[in-house]
Amino acid sequence: MGQRSGVGLVELAVLEALDARRAWPGRRPAPCLKVLAALEDELGLARGYAYQVLTDLALPWKVPVPLVEGQGNFGSRGNDPPASPYYTEARLSPAGQVALAAERGQIAPVPIGLINGNTHRQGTRPPFRPAAVIDASRQVLLRPRLTARQITALVGPPDFMTGCAVTGDLAALAAGQRTELGLHAQVTVTDAAHASARVTKAAVPGHTPPRAFLRDPSRPVIIVDNFPPYVSTDDTMVSIANRAQEYAWKTRHPELAAQTGLAIKDLRDLTARGDYWFACLPAIDTPPEMLRDQLLKIYGVSIYVSVGLPRPLPAMIRTWTRAHQHEDLQASLTALENALASRQQNA
Amino acid sequence: MTEAALVGRGFPVVVFAAAVLAAEKVSFVLVGSAALWLRGEQVTVGDVDLVIEPGEPNLVRLHESMAGLAVRPDAVPAVHRLRELMVATAVTSYGRVDCLLERGRRDWDQLRQGAGYVAVADAPVLVASAGDAWALRRRFKK
Repeated sequence: MGQRSGVGLVELAVLEALDARRAWPGRRPAPCLKVLAALEDELGLARGYAYQVLTDLALPWKVPVPLVEGQGNFGSRGNDPPASPYYTEARLSPAGQVALAAERGQIAPVPIGLINGNTHRQGTRPPFRPAAVIDASRQVLLRPRLTARQITALVGPPDFMTGCAVTGDLAALAAGQRTELGLHAQVTVTDAAHASARVTKAAVPGHTPPRAFLRDPSRPVIIVDNFPPYVSTDDTMVSIANRAQEYAWKTRHPELAAQTGLAIKDLRDLTARGDYWFACLPAIDTPPEMLRDQLLKIYGVSIYVSVGLPRPLPAMIRTWTRAHQHEDLQASLTALENALASRQQNA
Repeated sequence: MTEAALVGRGFPVVVFAAAVLAAEKVSFVLVGSAALWLRGEQVTVGDVDLVIEPGEPNLVRLHESMAGLAVRPDAVPAVHRLRELMVATAVTSYGRVDCLLERGRRDWDQLRQGAGYVAVADAPVLVASAGDAWALRRRFKK
């Protein structure tokens, strides 16, 4: 990985290729096809692989600090893949430009690698909240005697961007041990009126609340949203629907059927305008709280990822600040902060 | 050898994938971490590994059951591919299921001999002996 940004070498090559085409923030993006051709010619990077890396760097549900801004269809959280590179364009994001500046020694290093992690590419390093890592780095610079516990508290738990809940042995992760984290969608019991209001609020033409919701607004409805990353929401929908189906073996094995089946009367994917959510109507006489607990055990609603840091988290931050203390880290952290703020303004 | 072990509630969810396949009358021996867990070992269960009994009728049942279980049924290999593949993997609503086809073609009789039935809910699942499961794990996992 890049020594001064922590960004992967292939990712850096993608950023360099965009920079060479003057695809800078606010400027005209470069056709992805040309960027991929250059990466293949200059480095021998296969186009398919390079395109996956490029698109991942642009997707805010994959990395907390997107280093690329994409134009065109870069895919969805469902099974919709990115369009062919023939039809897409990309440019550096402000944070991508900061990463390159740090790598070239134009500014002090930035901890982008630590923030983004690599679990989005089946690695073991989880992502963290950018503001928290920047703040923790600043605090360590200002107060070198900060204890490991204080640094860990400042960084907080891993942040998987989608708002999913994170469970597991966070202390083991912070201590640099391999562990498993559970990532869980938010599963909420509410009523049909609330679900209908959310559909209406999205204001998508032709997108109306299901009739069953309008018929009885007080009826309990379970909303599933804030899905974990790295799993297609379309696959999660199929997962839930599969469990609600009737199978011949269920009559032969009633206990297994009771433990694995879902008593759902209606299941809707009400995703609109980038707001990914499903609504489930429990079958009559099914306590919604019971269904909520069952849903949390479905693949896609909950997933488990194996994580581990190369060293204890406080040691990583301490070593990083100590190694670069002779440079103006405060300024580079501010540059990264500003880059993230400008992305949020544009969004 | 067969045995009936009563296992209370609180199975790792992915173990139910094996139970459903057993309920669908697919013939397999459960190995890997799930088998060790059912044998009372303290292991983390990430997926289920099934050594599939070779033979055309069983492969047909496996294909049909996996197609009903997988979140992407189109990705389940056809029966003629199952005859040749070493491993077929499917992601299900319970988690990941690895079907070890080549292992079945080579070691079915030996694994079957040491295996015993364990009840998962009310479905009897054929589980490799702890010794066999550990031996396979040592051989194929670093």
